[in-house]
Amino acid sequence: MSLLAAIRKLWHSIAPRTHSDVEEEFRSTLDAYKEDLIRRGLPEEEARRKARIDLGQPAAQNEIYRDAIGLRLFDELGGDIRYGLRALRRNPGFAAVAVLSLALGIGATTAMFSLIYAVLLHPFPYADADRIMNPIVVDAQYPELFQWFSLSKAQCDDLSLAAPVDSVLGFSNGHLEITNDGLPEDISGVYLSENAETFLGVRPLFGRMIEPFDAGHPVVVLNYRFWQRYFGGDPQVIGRTLEMDHAPYTIVGVMPRSFAFNDIVGVGDVYLPASLVPAVASGLAPSYAPSYLPWIKLRPHVTVAAANAALEPIVREIKKQHSGVSGWHLGLQPIIVPYQQDLGRTLALLLAGVVLLLIIGCANCSILLLARGRARQYELAIRTAIGASRWRIVRQLLVEALVISCTGAVLGVAASYWLAWLPLLLSPDSFPAESVIRINATVLVFSVALALLCGILFGLAPALRLSRNDPARALPGRQVGVVAAPAKHRWSVLIAAQVALTLLLMATAGTAIRGFLRLTQMPLGYDPANVMQLGIQLHTHDPGEWDRLQSREARAAYIEQIREKIASVPRVSTVAVGVDATPPGADVQSSFIVDGSSDGEQPKARVMLVGQRYFAALRIPLLQGRVWNTDENTRGDFIAVVNRAFATRYLSSSHALGRQLRIPALPFQNRFTASSAQSTAWRQIIGVVGDARNDGVDRPVVPAIYLPYTTLMRQYVQFFVRTQGDPLTYLHSIRAAVASVASDQQISNGVSGFDGTFTLSEAIERDAQYSRQRLFSILFGIFSAMALGLALVGIFSVVAYSVAQRTTEFGVRLALGAPRVHVLWVAARIALVSAAAGMVLGLAVDSFLGAVLAHWMQNAFAAGSLFAAAALLALSALLACLLPARHAVAVPPAEALRYE
Amino acid sequence: MTKPVELPQGTLEMLILKAVSLGPLHGYGILLRIQQISGERLEILQGSFYSAIYRLERRGSIKGEWGESENNRRARFYSLTVAGTRQLKAETAKWIDMAAVVAGILDKKADEI
Repeated sequence: MSLLAAIRKLWHSIAPRTHSDVEEEFRSTLDAYKEDLIRRGLPEEEARRKARIDLGQPAAQNEIYRDAIGLRLFDELGGDIRYGLRALRRNPGFAAVAVLSLALGIGATTAMFSLIYAVLLHPFPYADADRIMNPIVVDAQYPELFQWFSLSKAQCDDLSLAAPVDSVLGFSNGHLEITNDGLPEDISGVYLSENAETFLGVRPLFGRMIEPFDAGHPVVVLNYRFWQRYFGGDPQVIGRTLEMDHAPYTIVGVMPRSFAFNDIVGVGDVYLPASLVPAVASGLAPSYAPSYLPWIKLRPHVTVAAANAALEPIVREIKKQHSGVSGWHLGLQPIIVPYQQDLGRTLALLLAGVVLLLIIGCANCSILLLARGRARQYELAIRTAIGASRWRIVRQLLVEALVISCTGAVLGVAASYWLAWLPLLLSPDSFPAESVIRINATVLVFSVALALLCGILFGLAPALRLSRNDPARALPGRQVGVVAAPAKHRWSVLIAAQVALTLLLMATAGTAIRGFLRLTQMPLGYDPANVMQLGIQLHTHDPGEWDRLQSREARAAYIEQIREKIASVPRVSTVAVGVDATPPGADVQSSFIVDGSSDGEQPKARVMLVGQRYFAALRIPLLQGRVWNTDENTRGDFIAVVNRAFATRYLSSSHALGRQLRIPALPFQNRFTASSAQSTAWRQIIGVVGDARNDGVDRPVVPAIYLPYTTLMRQYVQFFVRTQGDPLTYLHSIRAAVASVASDQQISNGVSGFDGTFTLSEAIERDAQYSRQRLFSILFGIFSAMALGLALVGIFSVVAYSVAQRTTEFGVRLALGAPRVHVLWVAARIALVSAAAGMVLGLAVDSFLGAVLAHWMQNAFAAGSLFAAAALLALSALLACLLPARHAVAVPPAEALRYE
Repeated sequence: MTKPVELPQGTLEMLILKAVSLGPLHGYGILLRIQQISGERLEILQGSFYSAIYRLERRGSIKGEWGESENNRRARFYSLTVAGTRQLKAETAKWIDMAAVVAGILDKKADEI
């Protein structure tokens, strides 16, 4: 009600007096004047007449009033809008097509804009996110392959004292296990330095974030999704105790849904003070001191370049500790940059696609308005004849166009809410976890502006064209004569442009779809069907159990025991062990030495730690020699298997067997790692296996060395389980099998990453290139289908309108004996010719843009798909011309002449 | 009867303010008073007269209130507001100034220039 009152108040301030008020005042004046006249001796009837003549009508007084206070334009626009709405209601077919054409374009553009806004312009919930930097190591040779690096606590503190730095956030991740009740569960924890609250500046949903006074205290802040999943969204959770790794933690806060810190170390289920990192707590030697990935928040108005220069001395200090690595430097990178690099082009291309769609939609509306304009000439001529100025008519036509575009925008914005989710559904891993897509004020302003722009864009040309008509020609006789349609058709240009743009979109879609199909048909070198990866974390935080598993042999035996139990589940065919060896993943490569090679060389290969059944489970063919046996697997040393890429690149492939290689960098210091006695000693190559994708689905296979996993054991391992039918349906019985070995041994809940549990087919779908290609092909497929539909509707309605207009002409032609084919040609000629011109234009533009597009889509531009698209478009355009043109031939001559 | 005078642009509003400044009047009263003061020499067009009243009211120079007219009829009486008083004063001064300057120029004989 207060809103209504506010509106009434606003209206009162615009127009303080009501109609009746003004009218009453005028009547009293009228009466006073009349009485005056009577007093001067006029008879009453005469006086009333004279008063009316001198003063005017009471009804007209309101117009004077509104004119005087400047409301006239309002009134006229209101009238135009009402008239426009009425005109739309009178022609529901026209209205539906026009509004839908725009709704598609505006909806898709708004969706893409809100996606770009959420992903690239405003992806983070943090305060001053634009001042938060990631320090990265940049290899001078490959500046695009930057790496994050970690610092010790002391280094973080040093950094935060530097002049351009406002503050530094250190974070690291770790696995934790919930030991509250009977349901042990692996979760991921992110440790945050205690300044997290001020650094991130995100308001918690409940309670508080980690604060400086939390240092050393067992407190925990929950991630929104974890809180939903584990606590069922219970708001009373603050103050309760969560037992992790057999230690109680007090829950002090719950973060909002938009907070998903962070994509670098993986989104944490819980957030903990950095002082609780286990190694710190147990006071280990400095070399084991935990390290943190730093985020640096610069002071306001400090440029990245200035900060880089100012940090140089500290960088040099850090560099000293990484001696031996040359040719790299440190740089500060705004946290948005990785997403911009990955997604910028994708989104730019998609935006280009939707803008094309919008332009096609606008062209469609223009065409419809122009075509309909011929039917409205009579009406407009009458308006001109009774004194409407040209500006008045242009304004009326523009307002009608805006009515259409605004209606379209309303539908479009409603649809965009769902459209914006589509890319996220299709390619979930490529977008920042924290970007929340919603229709906000910026997006709304954008779409309203878009609607107005579209309305003017497509309304102006028809308005100018139609307002320039001569009433003298249009009015008398209402165009009854057999007048051939005027030769000049503004819409033929629009049709040509529309067809050209549609072809461009279709060719792009064709390229994307072909690229994606090529990707799906590419030989992988392994068989992902019916294979699942299971991640398993050993219990490093449970001292008793860890003592039991700390030795390499005990751990290998434990893993083998679990493997056997899983293999004994009915209908499980093969179970193999692997460590971070999930195809088609890409990982770092290590240096190795081959016997007889010169010292200067530094060859690199992926080192894959696997069990001997890995090749069978993934169906990677053995090409030469043999795979190691169980005994060799237990020992771990002296043997290796390489892939074909390795053999061809580093060995002459026929003599690969029996050669020796050594991986000096294999063991790395980590208190959870146990390596075999001779892990860095010479190893004999005993077999060569086929190439399985190991650097992403579309990149060539890199040389790989397979070693028995027992040579370097970590605190986690993965099982590759080949089953009959969908592997995920076996999860329950596999869990039971694992639990029969150790009741508290959990299978990882993660659905991604090396340590999760998922099928290998899912791993392919998450591959960056795969998901991008799929996104492109589906979205551009949708765009081009929409564009095709719009273009066809445009052509169809133009021909249909002109046939309806020229019924008489066709009747006369037929009566005079014109062949039906000729009449058909006359009816469809202009549309056909302009569509053909559009095709030629489109082909030209495509071949020009082909190379650019191919580069941007990282995909070969296929001439074949262009011609296929052109053929499809030509055929449909022909149909769209001929279907309505048929009516021209169907006119019975007698009837047409009677009409005359 | 003397010759009727046509009003220059914008002066009607000033006259209305002047008429109202002498005491609250309804629309027809204002019309009559202007004609009366001018010695029946001003011919005021109905449309422009009420337009001027509405504009002045919207601008806040005059204020309208419903009341009883001399012959017991409901009528809207206008009175000058504070802003209107100020406006009338300023415009009167401006007008007299301008009229004096224009008259001074027009009165000059050739030999005086």
